[in-house]
Amino acid sequence: MAKTRTLIDPVTRIEGHLRIELEVENDKVTDAWVSGTLFRGLELIMKGRAPQDAFFISQRICGVCPVSHGHTSTMATDKAFNIAIPNNARIIRNLIEGAQFLHSHILWFYQLAALDWIDASKALKANVADTHALAEKAGTSGADFGAVQKHLKALVDGGQMSIFSGAWFGNDAYAKKMPPELNLIAVAHYLEALHMQSEASAVAAIMGGKMPHIMTSIPGGTTFVPTEEKLDGILFRLLKVRDWVQNTMIPDTLAIAPFYPEALGYGQGVGKFLAYGVFEAKSMKASDRYLPPGVIRSGLKVEDVDQSKILEFVDSSFYEAQDGNKNPAVGSTHPIAPVYDTEKSGGKYSWSKSPRYDGVPLEVGGLSRMLVAYLRGVPRVKELVDGALKALGAAGKPEVLVSTLGRVAGRNLEALYVGELMIDQVNELIANLKGGDSKFFQSYNDDQGAGVGMWEAPRGALLHATNVKNHKIENYQCIVPSTWNISPRTKDGVRGPMEQALIGNPCTNLKQPLEALRTVHSFDPCIACAVHVTSVKTGAETTIWTGPAMGVR
Amino acid sequence: MPGKNGVLPQELKARGITRRDFTKFCASIAAILGLEASAIPEVAAAVTKASSLKPVVWLEAGSCSGCTESTAQADYPDVATIVLDILSVNYSETLMAAAGYTAAQAKEDTIHAGGYILIYEGSVMTAWDGAALMIGGPDGEQVKGTEELKVAAKGAEAIIAVGSCAVDGGWVAADPNPAGAMGVQKFLEQEGIKKPLINLPMCPVNPEHLVAVVIDYLLLGKVPALDEHLRPKLMFGQTIHDNCPRRGHFENGEFVYQFGSEEEAKGYCLYPMGCKGPQTKTNCPIVRWNKRVSWCVEAGAPCIGCGNLNWVDADGPFFKRMRNLEVLGGVQPTTIGLGVTGVVAAGLVVHGLGMKAAGRAGAANAGGPTEAVKEYDRKRAGKGGDQ
Ligand code: SF4
Ligand code: SF4
Repeated sequence: MAKTRTLIDPVTRIEGHLRIELEVENDKVTDAWVSGTLFRGLELIMKGRAPQDAFFISQRICGVCPVSHGHTSTMATDKAFNIAIPNNARIIRNLIEGAQFLHSHILWFYQLAALDWIDASKALKANVADTHALAEKAGTSGADFGAVQKHLKALVDGGQMSIFSGAWFGNDAYAKKMPPELNLIAVAHYLEALHMQSEASAVAAIMGGKMPHIMTSIPGGTTFVPTEEKLDGILFRLLKVRDWVQNTMIPDTLAIAPFYPEALGYGQGVGKFLAYGVFEAKSMKASDRYLPPGVIRSGLKVEDVDQSKILEFVDSSFYEAQDGNKNPAVGSTHPIAPVYDTEKSGGKYSWSKSPRYDGVPLEVGGLSRMLVAYLRGVPRVKELVDGALKALGAAGKPEVLVSTLGRVAGRNLEALYVGELMIDQVNELIANLKGGDSKFFQSYNDDQGAGVGMWEAPRGALLHATNVKNHKIENYQCIVPSTWNISPRTKDGVRGPMEQALIGNPCTNLKQPLEALRTVHSFDPCIACAVHVTSVKTGAETTIWTGPAMGVR
Repeated sequence: MPGKNGVLPQELKARGITRRDFTKFCASIAAILGLEASAIPEVAAAVTKASSLKPVVWLEAGSCSGCTESTAQADYPDVATIVLDILSVNYSETLMAAAGYTAAQAKEDTIHAGGYILIYEGSVMTAWDGAALMIGGPDGEQVKGTEELKVAAKGAEAIIAVGSCAVDGGWVAADPNPAGAMGVQKFLEQEGIKKPLINLPMCPVNPEHLVAVVIDYLLLGKVPALDEHLRPKLMFGQTIHDNCPRRGHFENGEFVYQFGSEEEAKGYCLYPMGCKGPQTKTNCPIVRWNKRVSWCVEAGAPCIGCGNLNWVDADGPFFKRMRNLEVLGGVQPTTIGLGVTGVVAAGLVVHGLGMKAAGRAGAANAGGPTEAVKEYDRKRAGKGGDQ
């Protein structure tokens, strides 16, 4: 059978602009090109500015994970200035970061990813009484399912589908055996999740001033000094969000997963992982972080991260050759005019550079963090993962997590871990304050030097490198998580993690490649900082294009 | 049909929102719009009687998605109400269920039908003749972001530029502006496209500003009163400093000179730490952020002036005190900072007023009285400042 092409552009329910082009043969994806389609040039804008301003500007890389960018930036600057931040500032930063993780995980699972697994249109057929019974059986929280169904019906009858316009509902790749009642439960929780993500965000805002784009985690510590009232507000909301994750998000995940057993069998990708670690422990040593750092390169064996092994390549990216093969600490950024035609661009098709670790691409994200923590024996992570594996009928087989569905489940388990950790952190802070420790900021004299910050955004390993001379930023480089995941091919032809994860995906509906979209969303790509691809010309064997213009619509 | 024949309250009920909440929702809208409490029933009537949902095309260009994110933090009305019961957001890359060509088709259909509000988030990316941003069209072809804007703007009934990036390029346009970023207004002027346009700066957009403007537009069918930069006067008419709860300390000469210090714990003024409140015209101390839980200065951070035009270049370095600015009726803030220590009594009075005006006002109190503070400024400026 001839090879065909299909594409998804725009990829929606992600952050930023992404185009996915797939080559399909016998209902399976045989090749993939992933390209980001936007260049903004933050690294160039940073040059010559005050080093303290990097915290504010770098957050604007991404409105979905600004806190992580801000923290990584500040960490790099703290290192450059040789500042040891006060213990209380560490906790405040952990708390803001954790609040953003919770916000981001909830928003991603329900608002961005769930609609690939849930056919909302089927919820109309649900019996309300059965829905209540099913929710109880699944151990997930109830809701006014009748009212939600009515609302949904009004929307459909009104003919104005708003954000559901053009949805792929009815696609054959939705689990046929999934009862309409489960779809209704998920729709109800989709609406609840909108509320919960904003509760989590509000926690970050109490400490950060606002969210997105917090104001307080500046070099030296934090400007935020908590009062009792603020602590109350933080704890109250965190408890609410943690309970919801535990009683709704996790049971929903475990209820939906069994209807998609095949999704544990595709989307493996490179099967190699990287995590820098996140949530600082009192020692401030990276290896002690509550989610520790590590690299997994062969089988499920974890090793320490060696920053010097990271190089960025630009073989397929719209940058000058001089920017390539460099460690980010000394990297540079020189964009070239993009030519959206790989035949004429010398194979370049993306604004994303290709980071490689010792020459190989690594996957980053929630799954990477959870696997590293699992293999390093973090007790609560082991408990959570083992419990979920048992529930999925894969007890003792953590390797099944290396898949499209596993990536989703792993990250959702992480949400619970983070929720619990944040409660502990608040209590630790309260104990410190009661013990008379009221220090939140460490002043510093010299604002010069070079530093690298390595941390985690909800979407994965994040690195910022700053080099300050004469009180000004001389060079600034970042490697953001999605750059790892959506990186384009290098010269040797080795594809990036998402490209590899797409290969082998089922693709039963060329017009609406839902399984591929599922895999894309499992990475939660966040592209504003990453890439842009373009019209990759049809290969010689390609006989038809499946983009609607190409005759299939 | 949603929104028709007063079904909205029932629909809100579907999400556990009671009639009392609905009244709160309408009160909040009335407050944001600067209406008296007596106007609340009118707002309720207008919201529930709309015959159909207003179509919206929400485009993201050179953005970080932060303005979409910010809008998702709206409280009363919350984001579900906005996108399902007030508007029909037929295209939003971040929120919509569809992907690929069906998404692009939904956009095209809406544009074709006309009568929609175009919400534009992010900078217009003009580098490489617009090739810095490419977006998939319904035929799988790639369209330049600038072309997408032209088409969508021409068909729109009105345009709202959300966030500083859409207003004037924002941080993306900061020197050296490597991607040729610019605001919607300038781009449309260059292209000779004339449409009612509302600018809502801030980085990100404050969701309460957006909601207020949208509801106002739905109520009155026209854009609100705008200033010379096309910003709603109601929201961008006063400075942060005018309404700041720390203002009394500013008058007293009680300042924070180090972050996390005892002075910070006392809530003293952040002016020496670089606060751009005096030169930034917007109402953060009143509308605050994230369901009004806090705002920058309340969290101990000096305002970095993200609501200003060209804010990154104009306001950086953010921790340096601003200099040589003609604010406060010609008084140089640097001299105020050094010279006001003696003005104690008046400061206490102002402090009281300031707290009242900007304290954690319930929704109904938003946009509370602030004139006393302004009056004081005027008098002082008349006396030649504090020198
Ligand atoms: S300078 Fe800033 S902190 Fe001080 S009163 Fe003005 S706005 Fe508030
Ligand atoms: S207080 Fe200043 S920095 Fe904070 S949101 Fe308002 S304008 Fe922006």
